[in-house]
Amino acid sequence: MKTRTKFVIGGAVILAVIVALSLQELQKMTVFFYTPAEVLASPGEFEDKTIRIGALVQKGSVDWNAQAIQLSFKITEDGKVLIPVYYDGVKPDLFREGQGVVVEGKMNGPRFEASQLLVKHSEEYTVDTEHKKSKEEYYKSIQAQ
Amino acid sequence: MDSMKKIILFLEWGSIAGLAGCGLWIFLGLPIESSQGFPQKIMYIHVPTFVATYLAFFVVFAFSIAYLWKRDLMYDQIAKVSAEVGLIFCALLLITGAIWGRPTWGTFWVWDARLTTTLLLFLIFMGYFLLRMSVSDRDKEARLASVLGIIGCLDIPIIHKSVEWWRTLHQPSTLFKVESGKASPSIPPELLNPLIASIMVMLLFYLYLLLLRYQTEKRKDELNQLLAETQV
Repeated sequence: MKTRTKFVIGGAVILAVIVALSLQELQKMTVFFYTPAEVLASPGEFEDKTIRIGALVQKGSVDWNAQAIQLSFKITEDGKVLIPVYYDGVKPDLFREGQGVVVEGKMNGPRFEASQLLVKHSEEYTVDTEHKKSKEEYYKSIQAQ
Repeated sequence: MDSMKKIILFLEWGSIAGLAGCGLWIFLGLPIESSQGFPQKIMYIHVPTFVATYLAFFVVFAFSIAYLWKRDLMYDQIAKVSAEVGLIFCALLLITGAIWGRPTWGTFWVWDARLTTTLLLFLIFMGYFLLRMSVSDRDKEARLASVLGIIGCLDIPIIHKSVEWWRTLHQPSTLFKVESGKASPSIPPELLNPLIASIMVMLLFYLYLLLLRYQTEKRKDELNQLLAETQV
């Protein structure tokens, strides 16, 4: 066998492996998180696997125990399909009710035990009017003196 | 050539004054954003950096095609220096994004589609310079680099659309938001105007770095040519 042919075959095999691996990874990467409905629809598929779920924090479901540093809340997309989440860790600054979050962890029966809690920021920006007002009043009070 | 010097000097002082002005405006004159608070101000460097990155690699794309078509070394020089500046902006983009991500998301880095494709752009153009370094013949270098440059730039539209095509942690575009066929950035004018100003300044800065670097690159090639001629 010629050296050139060996190189071509070797190169083709390496290329095929790279393409196959990256396609596999790409598939995982493109689904950064599942929705609660997807996870509840096929519980067998997600059991004992570390997954991410992305959804909104249900209003009135947040229970933050600052003494034990434990956070529990329910996540949902539509307010109907809910998954209770338990997280041992500090509550992020931007965490609030109605906020989009991505939790990483494992399903344990009906509840989700999160090892990481990420806050998903929306593309909407608004001005904090109260802060702006107090700032303006502060400047006025300086000028009045 | 003297007029070129003047343009560079104008861009230099323009971007210095612009950066200082934007800095003062952003830190002293702006209201606080309601959900993120103070870290939102990172936007005024992160967003201009990505616009500059897009522009830099668009220039690489256009001038790589121009080189392959016309075979004029000047086009390759412009593509090369634009890729250099673009690589630095891309690094800044990743760094400022990480600094913003820590207080808002709760993490410096995630392997979502937006961040991964941006890192990919950075790595492709690291490879681009390795390729340039490994080829000794100047024309062959230009030819190979142009092909890689064109392919590498195809990552830009993928980065831009990644937040729409796939589920990502990174939010969709605020600035280039389109609703029912019309551009409608989801940010109030008070916060948007300084952002547009910062983008303009960053583009001036990009142009300054590009022209400055192009001057030295051109001279380097001229010098190498002279050296080659004297050796023969």
